Amino acid sequence: MMFKYCTVIFVALAAGSAVGSGFVAFIAVLGIIPRLIQLTKSENMLMYFEWASILGVIAGSFIGLHGVQFALPPLLLIFIGLFFGVFVGMLAAALYEVLNVFPIIAKRIQLEGKIYALMTAIVLGKVFGSLYYWLGFLGK
Amino acid sequence: MEKTIYLRLRYRITVEPETTVYLAQIASIIAPVEIKRVIQALPIYKIKKADKNTVVLDAISIIEKISTLYPGYDIQIVGPNHTIINVLIEKRKMPYVFFLLVWLLLFIGSGISIMNFHEDVSMQVVQQKLFYSLTGIWEEKPLLFQIPYSLGLGIGMILFFNHIFKRKINEEPSPMELEMFQYQQSIDQYLLIKENKESSGSKNDDV
Repeated sequence: MMFKYCTVIFVALAAGSAVGSGFVAFIAVLGIIPRLIQLTKSENMLMYFEWASILGVIAGSFIGLHGVQFALPPLLLIFIGLFFGVFVGMLAAALYEVLNVFPIIAKRIQLEGKIYALMTAIVLGKVFGSLYYWLGFLGK
Repeated sequence: MEKTIYLRLRYRITVEPETTVYLAQIASIIAPVEIKRVIQALPIYKIKKADKNTVVLDAISIIEKISTLYPGYDIQIVGPNHTIINVLIEKRKMPYVFFLLVWLLLFIGSGISIMNFHEDVSMQVVQQKLFYSLTGIWEEKPLLFQIPYSLGLGIGMILFFNHIFKRKINEEPSPMELEMFQYQQSIDQYLLIKENKESSGSKNDDV
């Protein structure tokens, strides 16, 4: 029995650290934390931001896996939703970045002067696509 | 140091088609006054139709020209060894409809891809559970969470691209500007090797 438990714990630790390092690698490649530091000029805070994301992952898996129950006022969810949206938005923008979409579009189809208009297209597309998904697409 | 001519080639210049490029256009010159006056107006290259939109001038061909004029002088190249000449070929004006089509392509494409993403990661289910877990209220459609989320999506992308703050939050370039810069540099690097007659071996320097 003891052996079984130990095996399970070991396997779980292995799985957890694989997923965790994958998460870190993903965030690192997309460069979201450096971008936020650059925007807020807070180079000396890097360590705290790292810990924020680590703690976030741990808290998220706790809430997600253990069915923890809070009784927060629903209005608070507006802020959480907004923050989550900003995070996903940065992920999406970073992906466009990594995939080199814009320089190629701008060069290839000679729209260099209009690159900001095209960026707006993508941003608005994301916002309206998302709103439509929640409000219309999922059925009345 | 009376007998030295210093040249610093410009990295990239833009000229009209079928004009002659003079030394003053492609380099900053330090030389004795009378020599400087002469070589400034030295024709270096005549742009031909066949050149299309890029010509690469190598420092060695420029040194050659000057040294035939002033054999006794020492010519020093400071900085880049090539100049990339961009020939302004009349750009076909992009029809407005075309721009509109690209705009719509990106708009619709990114809109639908976010919907696919939501479906892919079961966002609705996660948000229902999260809403329940945090508030204790079961909501079929936790719009209180979802609408701010959708707006945040836009804010996050804008923050990352940094284009709403045209004034720039700080001096550093935005990722987009860096990306464009790097892309341009790779193209230049390619041109320097592919378009440069000196480094590809076939020598023909006719003015």
